Amino acid sequence: MSATELSRRELLKATVAAAAASAVGLPVPGSSVPGGAELLDEVTGWRWDKGVCRFCGVGCGLRIATREGRVVAVEGDRDNPVNRGLLCVKGYANAQILYGEDRLRRPLLRMKGGRFDKRGEFVAVSWERAFDEMERQFKRVHAELGPTGVGIMGSGQYTVQEGYAAAKLVKAGWRSNNLDPNARHCMASAVAAFMQVFGIDEPSGNYDDIELTDTVVLWGANMAEMHPMLWARIVDKRLADPGYRVVNLTTFRNRCSDLADLEIVFKPNTDLAIWNYVAREIVRRGAVDREFVDRHCVFATGPYDIGFGMRSGAEFAFAAERDTQAREREVVLSRAEAIAQRRDPAAEHRVAQASAATAGKHWLIGFEEFTKALEPYTLEFVAELSQGDPDEPPATYRQKLVQLADLYADPKRKAVSFWTMGFNQHTRGTWVNEQAYMVHLLTGKQAKPGNGAFSLTGQPSACGTAREVGTFSHRLPADMVVDDPQHRARAEELWKLPAGTVNPKPGSHITKMMRDLEDGSLKWLWVQVTNPFQSTANANHWLGPAREKDNFIVVSDVYPTLSCKVADLILPSAMIFEKWGAYGNSERRTQVWSEQVPPPGEARSDLWQVLEFSKRFKLAEVWGAQPVPGLEAPGFEPGRLPEVLAAARELGYGPEATLYDVLFATPANRRVRWPDAVAEGRDNHTVVHAGIDWFPEKALFEEYAAFGRGHAHDLAPFDVYYGDDVRGLRWPVVDGRETAWRFNEEYDPYAARGSGFDFYGPAGKSLPRGDLDGVTDPEPVALAGKAKIFFRPYAEPPESPDEEYDLWLSTGRVLEHWHSGSMTRRVPELHRAVPTAQLFIHPADAKERGLARNDLAWIDSRRGRIQARVETAGRNPVPRGLVFVPWFDEGVFINKVTLDATCPISKETDFKKCAVKVYKV
Amino acid sequence: MRRQGLQGLIRVGGPALLVPALFVTVPLMTAPLAPGALASGDVATTGEPATEQAQAQAAPIADVELGLSRGSVFDVPSPPPVVENEAEPGESVRLPRAYPGAPALVPHAVADLLPITRRDNLCLDCHAVEIEEPGEGEPTPIPESHYLDLRNAPGVRRDAVAGARYNCLSCHAAPTAAAPLVGDPGGS
Repeated sequence: MSATELSRRELLKATVAAAAASAVGLPVPGSSVPGGAELLDEVTGWRWDKGVCRFCGVGCGLRIATREGRVVAVEGDRDNPVNRGLLCVKGYANAQILYGEDRLRRPLLRMKGGRFDKRGEFVAVSWERAFDEMERQFKRVHAELGPTGVGIMGSGQYTVQEGYAAAKLVKAGWRSNNLDPNARHCMASAVAAFMQVFGIDEPSGNYDDIELTDTVVLWGANMAEMHPMLWARIVDKRLADPGYRVVNLTTFRNRCSDLADLEIVFKPNTDLAIWNYVAREIVRRGAVDREFVDRHCVFATGPYDIGFGMRSGAEFAFAAERDTQAREREVVLSRAEAIAQRRDPAAEHRVAQASAATAGKHWLIGFEEFTKALEPYTLEFVAELSQGDPDEPPATYRQKLVQLADLYADPKRKAVSFWTMGFNQHTRGTWVNEQAYMVHLLTGKQAKPGNGAFSLTGQPSACGTAREVGTFSHRLPADMVVDDPQHRARAEELWKLPAGTVNPKPGSHITKMMRDLEDGSLKWLWVQVTNPFQSTANANHWLGPAREKDNFIVVSDVYPTLSCKVADLILPSAMIFEKWGAYGNSERRTQVWSEQVPPPGEARSDLWQVLEFSKRFKLAEVWGAQPVPGLEAPGFEPGRLPEVLAAARELGYGPEATLYDVLFATPANRRVRWPDAVAEGRDNHTVVHAGIDWFPEKALFEEYAAFGRGHAHDLAPFDVYYGDDVRGLRWPVVDGRETAWRFNEEYDPYAARGSGFDFYGPAGKSLPRGDLDGVTDPEPVALAGKAKIFFRPYAEPPESPDEEYDLWLSTGRVLEHWHSGSMTRRVPELHRAVPTAQLFIHPADAKERGLARNDLAWIDSRRGRIQARVETAGRNPVPRGLVFVPWFDEGVFINKVTLDATCPISKETDFKKCAVKVYKV
Repeated sequence: MRRQGLQGLIRVGGPALLVPALFVTVPLMTAPLAPGALASGDVATTGEPATEQAQAQAAPIADVELGLSRGSVFDVPSPPPVVENEAEPGESVRLPRAYPGAPALVPHAVADLLPITRRDNLCLDCHAVEIEEPGEGEPTPIPESHYLDLRNAPGVRRDAVAGARYNCLSCHAAPTAAAPLVGDPGGS
């Protein structure tokens, strides 16, 4: 059949559908005729239910229509305060993402001659055969390397329950801490800053701040494309209110600039200097909210010589990247850095990066020290350093910085600062997050309606799962960490584990797991709900070892991703509406959905996969003494986890008990029966496939919630979230009420009475005193209830453009595609809108290289090179000297080019800055 | 499987361009592995039904055949050029919605109509009109739903499109001429 015939048919189909709808007088869903939707349901047989969008961290509410076991439509939920009936172009694709032609339906194992073979081709096998091989390989590696030789890469797209089950299996069962989410790449810097500033994770404010404020400042957050329904709220407010101001700080012009009042294009990494200029102005103009600062804040700083989170040794470095990597050990300060760090700019300063391993250490300083540190950040210095568009008149740029300071310093204005990956993916990501709080705390514009520095997340449950459940290599649920003995004890108590079961040594973060694969210290890896071989920077280092070294890689996914191509075993997973689940969005709102349709073929929920695989381990295999290289902790033999089998027996667990019995099918969990009234007759295929009579999603939710209740992370009972009138609740939920603004006595039941504001987070609330250079008095000072205002200096990134690699490369996303595109690229409307990742380059830079629009260009770094099509116009008009390439497209594999340097505190990769050259193919 | 681009759906000024997916692969790094080096030992096949084995043996899949970008992860493909939709507003044909209630697609070129700023919204200039039954060449009118302010004044019809809906391209995709990568996942 020719394309023309096909298209005629399509046209005809569309016309008929439209005619049919108008004939019965039906509005399409989303239109607003009263009663229309109900009438339509009756005719079409659609069943509607509430749900949550699968994509970004905004957490838009959906209504999902199903008919005969298939999702047939979605619409924005008008009752959901997040999005009030609207969805973005991806949100509407929630109805389609389940139905790509190449959905994975069966486990696929690399085989040759009927056996597993790493060089074999993929052969469909049974789940039992798949788990047999997974188990065999796990036990082989575990016997050789112990718990640190195995790991799971998870995701901020795990449901709360999936993440919790994975965390329990890895941390309580396997006693490994090698569980880390792709969320490490996404908002680990935000977490580190929350912990250092407030002692507790996640924002004080909420989305209502958009309507309540009169000033919105975006820092490295292209909300128009990445958080479109929040941007819709900002635009709505801006169009209605002439006094509302929107500022867009960015390294290249984007769609937010189109509606902003002020656009500031700055040079990569100089956001650090701009914040200090703003803070200096606030102090200089007397705009510090003295009462707020004196009562509720202290000042702090930390070391500057913290490296860039790269490997310190050059053993695995490509020849071309040795010079960049050498900066991990020693940095020669630039003139600007010398000024910014109060050193003589005329002298040479070679600075050994001596504090790389203790980058998060910090101490108290006084207000005088703080102001002294800000002194170099004058308008002249910062404007010259930070101007990002060489074609902008310097006087204009300087004036814009003044306007920015005016907005923050004006006591009559409120202010909300939003940021996402521009801050978080930054080798000084923790610092720059802290600087946002610096300015908001100095001006008292924090934790109040319409006031606050607000970190947005990228993934639907980056907050709800990755952070709150704690699927990080150093975390336990409810903000606890593995290297705190009291936290381990509490986890062991709640999990009913013998003392000493949980490993006190943090595991490998996600980038380090890749490095571990390369150096052979990790040989068994299970990837769930993420595509790390596409999403991890410096990919040429990881692909070879994954395919060629002695290791076993399992990838659970819904479509064949690039990581599936790298895998040894592919497991087919159920998608969002094919299972029960809960997500937590950026404003602490926990939202749930029920299973709507069954998974296809032999696809199984990720929760089922974890539960089922846990049956393969007897306690005797994992709870004996285990080697953990480098383990040093009070009460532990160096390099060794103790045997806990005898203590386990006292708790009633015999050596033949499996991890499934001990961790998941506990007596308490089995009492949570299935079927459950909350399901209203809906199915649960985790239950069906497991052949059980209990409700694991509900049981695990409640078990997990016990960690946070009474600890300022309170979740409501599971069933409450399913109520007809509930559209998620913002934790802490105390006495049935959600908390809109944390730390504010008026709104937060955890804030002490009479305090006004109580920054009650418990972490890091005992600090030594010092000056700008270090600790002077080691005696710790208690800081209960205080937030910390950090001074952090300007520093250059590990790699900047030079003569050979003469352009900055920034990577990111586009509105139409989600992450690595595995779902959205299978939706024709989205794929057609953005069919390939283009190289956004300034027309003058293109011309200089003999490149015209749509030409093929090489993008080449010290680490690898790829090809992309040139775009000199479009949605991202970049300044001269910088190029932008989205990362969704596995055919434009930009992470072969990027650098795997991280923030040394948060371990989050800087995907926004490295040096490249571009030339014609 | 539906594989046509937009060419058939849109009357374009010039001849329709059908662009083949052009993948030139450039080997970057491929290191050979000794055959069988990583094969496992004997494998238990209990529980594997004969039919499953037969099916499995019938169709082994190489990793290069998997995924959206056919080829080895070590290759460097040459992405196809982007063929913009060049149909002018008024000359394009409405595109089918993905499912009833899905947002309309933008069937015409948009590059010259952007950006949408506070002062200029060329989408609204044409589409914020009241036309009962738009005929050929007439704009699709913005539906009544878009005049409701669901956040600030639910139930009140305003004279202008709700501010939250001002950024038309947030919800309405504007397709190029690219063909779908895999089969159509369209709803019903």
